[in-house]
Amino acid sequence: MPIVKASKDRVKTGVHFMLGNYALVEGAISAGCNFFGGYPITPANEISERMSQRLPEVGGKFVQGEDELFSIFACTGASLAGGKVMTATASAGYNYMQEGLGYAYTVEAPLVIADVQRCRGENYASQADVYQMRYGASGDYEAIVVCPSSVQELYDYTIWAFNLAEEYRNPVIVMSETTIALMRERLDIPEASAIDLYERTYTSLPPEEYLPFAAPEYGCPDIAPLAEGYQTIYSLNPHDEKGGIDWDPVVFDRLYKRICGKVRENADRICRTEKFYMDDAEYALIAYGSEVRPAIEAAELARESGIKAGVLKLCNVWPVPEKAIAEIAGQVSKIFAVEMNMGKYVNEIRRVAAGRCGVIPVTKNLGLVHTAYEILEEIKKGVR
Amino acid sequence: MVTYPQRITLCGFGGQGIILSAVILGTTAVTKGDLYAVQTQSYGSEARGGQCQAELIIDRKPINSPVAEKKNLLVAMFQTAYEKYIPTLEEDGVLVIDPGLVTELVRPIRTTFEVPATQIAVDLGNRMAANMVMLGFLSESMGIIGHQDLLDVVKDTVNPRFTELNFQAVEAGAAYAKEHGLYH
Repeated sequence: MPIVKASKDRVKTGVHFMLGNYALVEGAISAGCNFFGGYPITPANEISERMSQRLPEVGGKFVQGEDELFSIFACTGASLAGGKVMTATASAGYNYMQEGLGYAYTVEAPLVIADVQRCRGENYASQADVYQMRYGASGDYEAIVVCPSSVQELYDYTIWAFNLAEEYRNPVIVMSETTIALMRERLDIPEASAIDLYERTYTSLPPEEYLPFAAPEYGCPDIAPLAEGYQTIYSLNPHDEKGGIDWDPVVFDRLYKRICGKVRENADRICRTEKFYMDDAEYALIAYGSEVRPAIEAAELARESGIKAGVLKLCNVWPVPEKAIAEIAGQVSKIFAVEMNMGKYVNEIRRVAAGRCGVIPVTKNLGLVHTAYEILEEIKKGVR
Repeated sequence: MVTYPQRITLCGFGGQGIILSAVILGTTAVTKGDLYAVQTQSYGSEARGGQCQAELIIDRKPINSPVAEKKNLLVAMFQTAYEKYIPTLEEDGVLVIDPGLVTELVRPIRTTFEVPATQIAVDLGNRMAANMVMLGFLSESMGIIGHQDLLDVVKDTVNPRFTELNFQAVEAGAAYAKEHGLYH
């Protein structure tokens, strides 16, 4: 996959004190985003607002449509036409996108969706949609979902998301939520020359030899440039290598094994985690998104009271970073699964831990991120 | 001596520029002082008049928890907001109030400053500049952000139509701090 450097005129190099939603936009612009289709919803509106301002400055297009179905289909079309595209929405709006998202998975359109999860109607934080990010649309596919925990990571991970979308020809979701989206924080934007971008691989074959869905067993097909004599049918139905609709079981089997396999077989390359205080840890907190922050502080507080706790931060939740979680499960006696919902991802952690250690859910569904002391209390109870 | 982290709440009612004050403080600390800062906020659905608060944490290192249970500085510019947030102030914290709008103190805090920001702004010709008076006072008394740095950020952040008024308000707040004692 060709790698290029970010364009200097798109990157606002320097130290900023920036709103999370704006940082996500700057990440997208740095990554080369040139199309945004969106529909308003709190607390994702600042993304649309800034996109409508920034995209024209860099020669991109901003379109506000009539609903979320417009957003996802417009982005899918623009992507297949050669664009680097993004849409943004929030929980309830993400519901509406599922039909188009299912289509995007099947036609293997690289695109980025920012889902700024919310609850209690508006500006309250939540991670209650962590399963919806993975299983929202019908059909067989694998989701790639990255989960920033700070304003800095909203910038960094959005660039990562664009790169993953291009590398795997898959929709990639930036799982944000109110805590970080509406927070202002220090953001260090590097020089453009320090930002690597994955360029789309276009076919080198002439139209008469080109097969739009021919790919290695667990790989991605090369895309054809639009309006240059190539004709591709992008169908939601099972399709053969030519793109023609084909219900033959062999075709069916090969297509979905590849669409799922390109992510599954590369999970170790996709997944990223970070460890804090894990070297000698007897207890581990596993957290993702903004919950990582109080979790780290809770581990520090636990250590002050003699409990050897550490943190495994999941930089992406889908595909599940199984290797890292399994390794932790083999090291500690108990895992505390910290999340801002009634207890969801804890099921994945239990599955991967497979009985090697205890797994205790630490949940909160009040529209607010945990405080370090709330987590500390749970650790103390669980350690007893 | 300034201690870090500084855990600050600014509160008042919608329209006073409470959140803008926190943004300007944070921007100055980060972009001019090379510090780390996290700012969160909450406000009612009313555009003006509802209760409003902004939280700001400033530290010399990256900040984990974005919310602090206990604060070491509370700036209150309205009675009901003061009453709501005063329990979050640490025993040895600093309380700054606008005595024209916070008239009844419910909890004695040893280090309390009364800064008549709204009255000073009215005297300058526009009560909307009260937040800038407060910023001027804070920059001078906190010892975290530089005076000129603050002016530069105010200039970059706020509508240029109000730059002159805002500068006057910041200067007035800083002058008030010099006259009435500093806490660092």
